[in-house]
Amino acid sequence: MTKHIVRFILNGRAVKIEVEPRTTLLRTLREIGVISVKRGCEEGECGTCTVLVDNSPQKSCMILAMEVEGRSVTTSEGLIFPDGELHPIQQAFIDEGAIQCGYCTPGMVMATYALLMRSPDPTEEEVRNALAGNLCRCTGYVSIFRAVKKASAMMKKLPQGAGDR
Amino acid sequence: MRQIKTKTGIGRWLPRKFDREKAAGTLEFTDDLRFGPELLHARAVRSTIARGRILSIDYEDALKVDGVIKVVVGKDFPHHFGLYLKDRTPMAIGQVRYVGESVALVVAESEDAAEEGAAHVKVEYDELEPVFDPVKAATNNDILVHPDLHKYDHVGFVTPQPNTNIATWFRIRRGEVDKAFKETDHFFEETVTCPQIAHGFLETHCCICKHEKASPELTIWTSAQSAFTVREIIAKGIGYPLNSVRVIAPPIGGGFGGKAGMTIEALCLAAAMDPDIKGRPVKLFIPREEVMISSWVRQGYVARIELAVSKEGKIQAIRNSFWFDTGVSAEYGANPVRSAGYTSTGAYYIPNVWTDCYAVYTNKPFGGAYRGFGLPEFMGALELVIDTVANKLGIDPVEFRKRNLLKKGLPTCTGMPMHDHGLESIITKVAQKINYDQKEEPIRPGWKRGKGIALAIKAPAIPADASSSAIVKINGDGTIEVLAATMDMGQGTYSAFAQMVSEEIGVPYDWIKVHFPDTKSHPYDWQTVASRSTWSMGMAVKQAAISAREQIIKLYSEFWEVPEDCISIEYGSVICSKLGKSERLDERIQNGFKMPDGILKGGPIIGTGSFTPPDIVYPDLETGQSPKSVVHFTVGAVGIDVEVDPGTGQIVVNNVAAGYDVGKAISPVGIMGQIEGGTIQGISACLMESMSYDEHGRLLTPDFTDYKIATTMDVPSSVDAFWEEVPEELSPYGNRGVGEHSMISPAPALNNAVYDALGIRIHSYPLSRERVFKAVRALSNGEKDFWEWPYELEQVFRRAKKSWE
Repeated sequence: MTKHIVRFILNGRAVKIEVEPRTTLLRTLREIGVISVKRGCEEGECGTCTVLVDNSPQKSCMILAMEVEGRSVTTSEGLIFPDGELHPIQQAFIDEGAIQCGYCTPGMVMATYALLMRSPDPTEEEVRNALAGNLCRCTGYVSIFRAVKKASAMMKKLPQGAGDR
Repeated sequence: MRQIKTKTGIGRWLPRKFDREKAAGTLEFTDDLRFGPELLHARAVRSTIARGRILSIDYEDALKVDGVIKVVVGKDFPHHFGLYLKDRTPMAIGQVRYVGESVALVVAESEDAAEEGAAHVKVEYDELEPVFDPVKAATNNDILVHPDLHKYDHVGFVTPQPNTNIATWFRIRRGEVDKAFKETDHFFEETVTCPQIAHGFLETHCCICKHEKASPELTIWTSAQSAFTVREIIAKGIGYPLNSVRVIAPPIGGGFGGKAGMTIEALCLAAAMDPDIKGRPVKLFIPREEVMISSWVRQGYVARIELAVSKEGKIQAIRNSFWFDTGVSAEYGANPVRSAGYTSTGAYYIPNVWTDCYAVYTNKPFGGAYRGFGLPEFMGALELVIDTVANKLGIDPVEFRKRNLLKKGLPTCTGMPMHDHGLESIITKVAQKINYDQKEEPIRPGWKRGKGIALAIKAPAIPADASSSAIVKINGDGTIEVLAATMDMGQGTYSAFAQMVSEEIGVPYDWIKVHFPDTKSHPYDWQTVASRSTWSMGMAVKQAAISAREQIIKLYSEFWEVPEDCISIEYGSVICSKLGKSERLDERIQNGFKMPDGILKGGPIIGTGSFTPPDIVYPDLETGQSPKSVVHFTVGAVGIDVEVDPGTGQIVVNNVAAGYDVGKAISPVGIMGQIEGGTIQGISACLMESMSYDEHGRLLTPDFTDYKIATTMDVPSSVDAFWEEVPEELSPYGNRGVGEHSMISPAPALNNAVYDALGIRIHSYPLSRERVFKAVRALSNGEKDFWEWPYELEQVFRRAKKSWE
């Protein structure tokens, strides 16, 4: 099959990749070593491959790589600060025991990030709605609710814009 | 004198091992490993019918697909595998037994080519009549799922019944049951049904096998709970020595029993051992839909429970008939059936017991291990019956439970005396936490509110000789590496082990690493199942840590010329306060100490520990009796406060409390996580989970759109989790397992709460909205009980349901 070049910003760096038109963003990212996006179902049901495209949370198995041409893609790896420090959202998940097997975690973290960017102090209802497309079989979500609340508080303590990635 | 000081020992709340990498997304699971261009990919061709003879497999067209290099079929790899009963071949040979069974394996240079190739394989069948109903399969031998049952190898405690569909039959015969039923004041008979359910782990099965080109050496990277058991099953199946099979188990994305024993490894091996493929690694990644149609499930069941109760409200006798739907294979599923059987009086003392538990073959995917291993099934039924009986007798269900409690010293159904535990206090606390005694108004106008309680009990269902071993290595800078072949799949055992090592050696938790299993380097452990690891492997880890500490102290004693009891290890430093000395552990721990006599002594310090349960006796095959049938029980209780919308059948959990007697909390954050997660998994199973099949045995729920598991929209805001600590005698620190127990009783507690809310008993799980709505309708027609049968079950069970009336 003919390959095409797609160019986009991945975690702040410009990338240029050759893909088949039918290749999903999920498979493309994994191909270049971005392993935080997982193949939990590859049919848009589980949320383990959630990324940000520009500022909107997307299941990367549900979009083709060619659709992100010229756009910005952020994954969980991209939230880590240059000095290796974890993002407050990632840290809050650890602090609240919201991680068990860890397979859903990167997707959960990205969905949380998208939520807190648009609603820094979300109600429980907003949290439930924002994470409804991300399945977790280990934690029962209750610790994740705590983590989101804690992340919200931690991010408010950061200087303006410091938590933006 | 206490020789160790640490702030990060047992009982502390600490960040869990590998959480950082998991949060970052950089932890490599099996699918994330890279093997380069030599990697081949395999894809299974799966049966489209439930039962039939294979007439032909035509893969000419598949071989023409660009990139396809080989197609392997069942007869090319005719080895039998199985943990307890070798009733499985990796691919169907001659006949298929369920929709989804693999009949061929296409191997290609890319995943896409393998998938494309698989679509081009044509299989012709001579279709035969299947059987899906476990009761029908158990009571009518016209259709035999395994006509060769008598030929299969099996362990002694599994009892296949040749020329039937019964893969194992577990019995308890205790006391004078007939007499007790004849003379009783009250007789009750109830039935409960539950369909098969899926594990729903988010990481699907994935495995890579590589067989060396020129020597019989095999390496397997696999998403498995139990590296050593995979090794053993594979090695026995293909006749290799154990040290020629290396199993590497990277982190796994959830297990819940679904990755216990051996799963897809033998199928992948069928390709990797092919003469044309040997030398190249072959990857078998199972997509979600294939996981759902083809792999392990929790067994469905039909339960009939009869109780004889005295006018004082004491249970005098129980008669249990449990038909487990084990599907096409009982290689693992035979054992949860036993586990249910030898715990078949639940958390109650009942003097006269008659139990028949059957694993019944049907033409469906196979039942295996699932969190709780027979007890969510058994207690899912028994706790409804207990509640129903209490209500019928006009005794408060909590009081009825306490009156019949299996207290310390009383015999379980196998005759083994119960050990001490904190269940009575847990029941009281659970009841308080949900305001059980108060009838509260519904929060939502027009809804009905109710409260329910259920008890939990379970022992590790392990072979009598399930062993563990561990190595603790002290590095030349005082850091420590622990080799303990437990799989940390999110339950947090590596954190617990590191805390134990910190407790024993006095070095900080952060200095301690625990590695994921590799059979080449790790010492043996049986399996990461049965809530056994912090207990069984904990025994080995503690022993290994003590052994390492003793070596350190002995060396320092000689080096400093002071008695051993003058030396302590505090926060990573070796201290002798008498001499005023304090030294960090350093390279001398590795390279030896120049002793006062000028001789270099020591060398790398390695602590080792081994453990095997000393005194388990398998229950007698005829009577189920044993002086010590299990190592111990973990007990607990769940209380749930729900509201039901009679207009739609929707159920909302207002509040849930769950407490367990963990003996000693080693890693509280881990226990909290296990209780919270298991409680929600149990609620999810109760409300929405069911593997549903059409009349041809085709799964109607092959993905997360149709197979519902709880999302953020379906769960309460919090779980009121707590624990008691009545210590276990034979245990590293008095601790008992709790990983599975949290899933045992949420479902019956919820069901009991719904009964309390509505006044009608729903005897069939799950309590889906449609079913609850139908029950509300039945109630308005004067019904007090509601059943829905997944298949045309035997009429006898319909009749049995109300025979006391």
